[in-house]
Amino acid sequence: MLKLWKQTILAPVISSLLFMIVFGLSLGDSIAEIGGFEYRIFIVPGLIAMAMAQSAYSNNSSTIFQARNDRYLDDIIAAPMSARQVHLGYLAGGAMRSLIIGIVLTALALPLTGAPLERPLELLLAVLLTITGFGALGIIVGIYAQSWDNQSFINNIVILPLIFLGGVFYSVGRLGSPWEQISHLNPLFYVVEAMRYGFLGAADVSPWLSLGVVGAITIALVAWAQLLFSTGHRLKP
Amino acid sequence: MPPALSIKGLSKRYGDGTLALEDLDLEIPAGSFFGLLGPNGAGKTTLIGAVCNLIRVTGGEISVFGQPGTGMAARRMIGIAEQEPNLDKFLTVYETLLYHGGYYGMRGAEAAERAEQMIDAFDLRAKRDVEAPKLSGGMRRRLLLARALLHRPRLVILDEPTAGVDLELRHELWRYIRGLHEQGTTILLTTHYLEEAEALCDEIALISRGRIVARDTAEGLKRSHGVDTLEEVYLRTVAGGRIAMDQLEEVE
Repeated sequence: MLKLWKQTILAPVISSLLFMIVFGLSLGDSIAEIGGFEYRIFIVPGLIAMAMAQSAYSNNSSTIFQARNDRYLDDIIAAPMSARQVHLGYLAGGAMRSLIIGIVLTALALPLTGAPLERPLELLLAVLLTITGFGALGIIVGIYAQSWDNQSFINNIVILPLIFLGGVFYSVGRLGSPWEQISHLNPLFYVVEAMRYGFLGAADVSPWLSLGVVGAITIALVAWAQLLFSTGHRLKP
Repeated sequence: MPPALSIKGLSKRYGDGTLALEDLDLEIPAGSFFGLLGPNGAGKTTLIGAVCNLIRVTGGEISVFGQPGTGMAARRMIGIAEQEPNLDKFLTVYETLLYHGGYYGMRGAEAAERAEQMIDAFDLRAKRDVEAPKLSGGMRRRLLLARALLHRPRLVILDEPTAGVDLELRHELWRYIRGLHEQGTTILLTTHYLEEAEALCDEIALISRGRIVARDTAEGLKRSHGVDTLEEVYLRTVAGGRIAMDQLEEVE
């Protein structure tokens, strides 16, 4: 599972750390506090959320697409495993890598920035929902994708911009109307908010609203992925 | 003992409208060495895919040693070596076999032990820690076969196992497959090499346009068509398309 650790673990950890160092530590002093938190602390939860979500998504989408493309998925589909077991296996693989990234980043970011860990249980719930939801999204895209471009398109054109616009680097509450309200339509906003509440104990919206939205999206994505495995749609001609 | 494979009324129409299998019936006795011959596009690979749960069938029933084809018990009894090497390019020979054992419910130590056995059986020891893309074509064939047999299946399906391999390896694979059959394993072999089918198989079925158009021993097929070689039978039946079908009906 960790054969490609440089690509799947080390690279996202380094890129997230660079964001923390460049935006937080280098520029942070020239930016005012947000919600009572220094800027270098404020951006930590969002950056960790972004790294974990992207990792869960891209690991699963590339794993499934590669297996379909090279047809070694046949060895798995032909085996005496139920659709649920296969689905769970892929979800667990992506989630585990993503979790390792989150743990490493948290272990490095807390002493580096001084960010607190105020609500560990809520954070754990937010993390599990995020990596499961994005892992399921990765599976769905990996199953539908017809080329490598398709799956990187979703990452670069959909997930990444929505996470940035979801308030990784700023508080959505500071945006004027109608941008604040529009931001609330962005599902990734709730991922960032749920993680921020877990770390800082404060967020722009209620943590239960964030966890509820992330939970509902995760359930829908997991159900969709399960349906694809159960029916064999696009997996079996 | 129930047949190794029983197929009744199997049909498969692909999304583009192609009818790959049409109301196909086939029964393969347990312990037999069965050959399936037919031209490209006749439905051989679709038939194998249906048996191995790799395609969604349009209709029909499949059972494996009396177990429903879609069930876990049936899947556990089947081993397949597909025509094109379909190996995970990030895994070594050993890991490919180890993972496969896991898919079939083997515990870690059991899968590891079995993987080492198969590595020795297929002379892959020197390549044990080499990843699939770095293997030669012949080595990949060996690995495919080792993987198909790792979980000790009772029905082994070999889809053109000797396509593109040199004569020496072909004979080596023949020896291994024969040995497997002698131990009681049922073999379903598809091949384009008619001499291979004749040399190995107890019984041969000819498939054309998604239907079995003839079935007998090699000698029986030659006798019923009044010819001297299996190649002539093949040309008269499946290779001739619609005309050959008409001729076959006349013979029948």
